[in-house]
Amino acid sequence: MRMFPLAAVAIAAVAAPVYAQASDPAVATIQSLDDGLIEIMRAGKAAGERGRAAKIGPVIDRAFDIPLMTRLAVGPSWNSIAPADQQALVSAFRRMTVAQYAGNFDGFSGQSFVIAPQVESRGGDKLVRTTLKDPHGEDVAIAYRLRQNGGAWKIIDVFYKNSISQIATRRSDFASALSKGGAKALIAHLNALAAKAGG
Amino acid sequence: MTLPAIVPALLLIAAPDPAPPVVSLASLVVPSAVLADGSTIELQTLPPPLPAEDSDEATAVAPPPEGTQSVTVAAERPRHDVGDPLQPFNRAMFGAHEAFDKAVLRPAAMGYKHVVPKPARSAIRNVLSNLTEPIVFLNDLLQLKPGRAIKTFGRFVFNSTLGLGGVLDIAKLPGLKLPHHDNSFGDTLAYYGVGPGPYLFLPFVGPTDLRDFLASQPENLVLPLAVGHPFDQAKYQVPKAVIGGLDQRAEADQDLQALFSTAVDPYATLRSVYLQNRIGEVQALKHGTAKVTISPLDTSLSDPLSNPLADPAASPPKSQPSPPELDDPLTDPATGK
Repeated sequence: MRMFPLAAVAIAAVAAPVYAQASDPAVATIQSLDDGLIEIMRAGKAAGERGRAAKIGPVIDRAFDIPLMTRLAVGPSWNSIAPADQQALVSAFRRMTVAQYAGNFDGFSGQSFVIAPQVESRGGDKLVRTTLKDPHGEDVAIAYRLRQNGGAWKIIDVFYKNSISQIATRRSDFASALSKGGAKALIAHLNALAAKAGG
Repeated sequence: MTLPAIVPALLLIAAPDPAPPVVSLASLVVPSAVLADGSTIELQTLPPPLPAEDSDEATAVAPPPEGTQSVTVAAERPRHDVGDPLQPFNRAMFGAHEAFDKAVLRPAAMGYKHVVPKPARSAIRNVLSNLTEPIVFLNDLLQLKPGRAIKTFGRFVFNSTLGLGGVLDIAKLPGLKLPHHDNSFGDTLAYYGVGPGPYLFLPFVGPTDLRDFLASQPENLVLPLAVGHPFDQAKYQVPKAVIGGLDQRAEADQDLQALFSTAVDPYATLRSVYLQNRIGEVQALKHGTAKVTISPLDTSLSDPLSNPLADPAASPPKSQPSPPELDDPLTDPATGK
């Protein structure tokens, strides 16, 4: 008797990914990001940081809601920032994000991403859980929170190990510069960092 | 019994498994280091995520707790940084540690990595890690987890004998499936509900909190007191502290660079990552990795644009967001969409 449910679960686990990828647009977004990341990892050092950034940039633009992520990272004071500075913050945040991915995903040694077929939904957002499988190291859980914008499901937060939120980390990271020097100081900081990273 | 240099916090940490060679994801490893009687340092990496030993592996996805969405209209966080009342002190210590790291620790660690072949470094790391298993075992017992304790015991026995005194980590191989897991007195206190207390950054200790720092002190005495020779000898403790510290600093280097190279405020970034990671570890300890009860969706992320409370007219710009990483990383003072 116990064999039956177990077998059913096993079959579902095998069959579900294909099904879910076809049906859930949030999974499709993550799949395209992961494909892009594998591509720049394979391009590796030969492509150079700039080459990888040029490749992953458009992928990030499609997968992430960069303007919303910028607003979330800045927090409520966003509304008191001048429109020109808001624009500059968004483009600095984008530059930073691209530089981060291009800098960190710089080589390939058999890694792969596994996307969990089950998608959690709550309050208009979706959560897609993935695992970065590394044959030479530990697997890393990476989860993505997505929100619909203009008909597309876009990433608004990334969680490492299911507990470390990128937005929460960025809020901490930005708070001091914002409270001391305002938006302009933060823009200058971000652009300097991105330039140093070769973005 | 001679207990020469009481080397604080040296014997407690399990060395992490070799870092992934290529993909360095920022925020996975957090540095720490220990000053031993004024001259010795050790840098620790944060424990790797607990192995999902009881989970169904690929399908270890938490089912969404039904109807538990905690999207409430959150009040503005207090101005001071949550969980970091000692920030001025901590920032000063962070500055001192970074200066020392840049001038001495990192160059020495890179030199160690360059000079000592990889197999030798792994062997040393495995031996030091194996010596922490008795403390893991003790904490498994204190948390009344006999299954885990037996696994830890088995792991220690296999690696100490067939693994040639811990040189080879044979216990984690597929046949035995007894991978290392971290478990400290700080974990045990957290397991029984003791809060972290204020965040601390201490030179040569790194990011910690009051609970974990105090709890780590007795752990240094377990082997010297229980076994004695040679663990209570300076000729063991000092080289162990130096080599272990250099190795862990070298192993953490990629992750640290990834974390700091894109940080506007490295101090705050490290604090945020450390505190969030520690919360995740304690949650996993309490509830198991198979069913993480806190879903990342349980925090509201409200767009400031659609947030009337954040309107400058309604809420003066003085109420800046503070790093709210402690209990609710993502809640904006917001309507919760």
